[in-house]
Amino acid sequence: MNACGCPGSQAMDFRKKAEGAAAGAPAAVASELGQWPIQLHLINPMAPYFQNADVLLTADCVAYALGGFHGSYLKGKSIAIACPKLDEGQEAYVEKVKVWIDEAKINTLTVIIMQVPCCRGLLALAQEAAAQAKRKVPLKYVVVSLQGEILEENWL
Amino acid sequence: MNELLNRNIKEVIAEYPALTAVLGKFNIGCVTCSAGNCLFRDIVTIHPLTPEQERALFTAVAQIIYPGRTVELPHLTRKTATRAGFAPPIRELVGEHAWIKRVITLLPAVNQTLAAGLDAAQKQRVSEIVDFIRNFADRFHHAKEEDLLFKYFDEKSELLATMHRDHETGRAHVRAVVAGVEQGDAAAVAEHLAAYGALLTEHIRKEDEILYPWMNAQLGDAQIGRLFADFRAVDERFGGAPARYQTWVEQMEASLNQQRSQS
Repeated sequence: MNACGCPGSQAMDFRKKAEGAAAGAPAAVASELGQWPIQLHLINPMAPYFQNADVLLTADCVAYALGGFHGSYLKGKSIAIACPKLDEGQEAYVEKVKVWIDEAKINTLTVIIMQVPCCRGLLALAQEAAAQAKRKVPLKYVVVSLQGEILEENWL
Repeated sequence: MNELLNRNIKEVIAEYPALTAVLGKFNIGCVTCSAGNCLFRDIVTIHPLTPEQERALFTAVAQIIYPGRTVELPHLTRKTATRAGFAPPIRELVGEHAWIKRVITLLPAVNQTLAAGLDAAQKQRVSEIVDFIRNFADRFHHAKEEDLLFKYFDEKSELLATMHRDHETGRAHVRAVVAGVEQGDAAAVAEHLAAYGALLTEHIRKEDEILYPWMNAQLGDAQIGRLFADFRAVDERFGGAPARYQTWVEQMEASLNQQRSQS
């Protein structure tokens, strides 16, 4: 247990019991990732794969928690990942999201975060950038539980 | 039972009137539909029923149509409704409906004033209503709905054909209102305004509660983004006109409220 009780850092064990786990080796799942790099500090927001694209801005932990991430969310989209709790220099993140909207003219922006409170910062960052941008794009957010369930999915 | 699902809903209801109550229980309001020639299958699919509700509906239908017999219940394939609420473009259309409904709500009060005939002031008011319907409801709203949203779906389907027919019927009522004003026929104006109001009330209910939720679930994010951008182009084309019509609605409400409080 984390001393401060922060839900984002609290240790939990939800390993599946042996009888609940699928038998045999899992089938290979094709990656839907269509670009590199993906970390928000590293990406060029004007890269060709962001032009007019449907873009995911995803908290680092999401792809580990959400079992069907590639097929259900990443397929057909461009992506950047970030951690609103640990990453430094997040002013640059706001600017990059604004460039996506105003200059790369992205089609939609979907922000996927974990349920832990600190993750809300990523959504707030995207909303701030969208509010500052001159263009408007549909903005959706998805909240994923620690065990990979979709808790919320809504257009703003 | 599969054969039944491929028949027109209205025919089936006419043959088995007891279905009216069953469908009503599941909020399927085809009984009052002006056309009703959608397939039973399409009607069940378009309503957001859970698998349990769908099974309960088919069980109740089978009891009416095949009493005392055991029949295999079909299971219709439906796209799982997205967890997301209305996407921004659909939300916009629902918002525009709200303005149209506000005008429809005023029509009975307008019609009351027509009982004494059509004077110049009443002709002016009716002309303004026609102008709102033709320019805000028909040209502006339908530039998004008919010309953009509906193009993502099979327009030959009975569901959309019914919506298009409602739009055409509405336009015919508006033409009749204009003719009534030109001929000084207050009764005809009142009759067609009332008919327009009744038609659009039911039409908007079908769109807001059934058609749009279904369309919302079918559209992918990429399509939603394109619709949103295309809607911005429509807004740009119409400039400040929609906002002016919204101001007119507020003024019209205030004017009729004032008249009511004075009478």
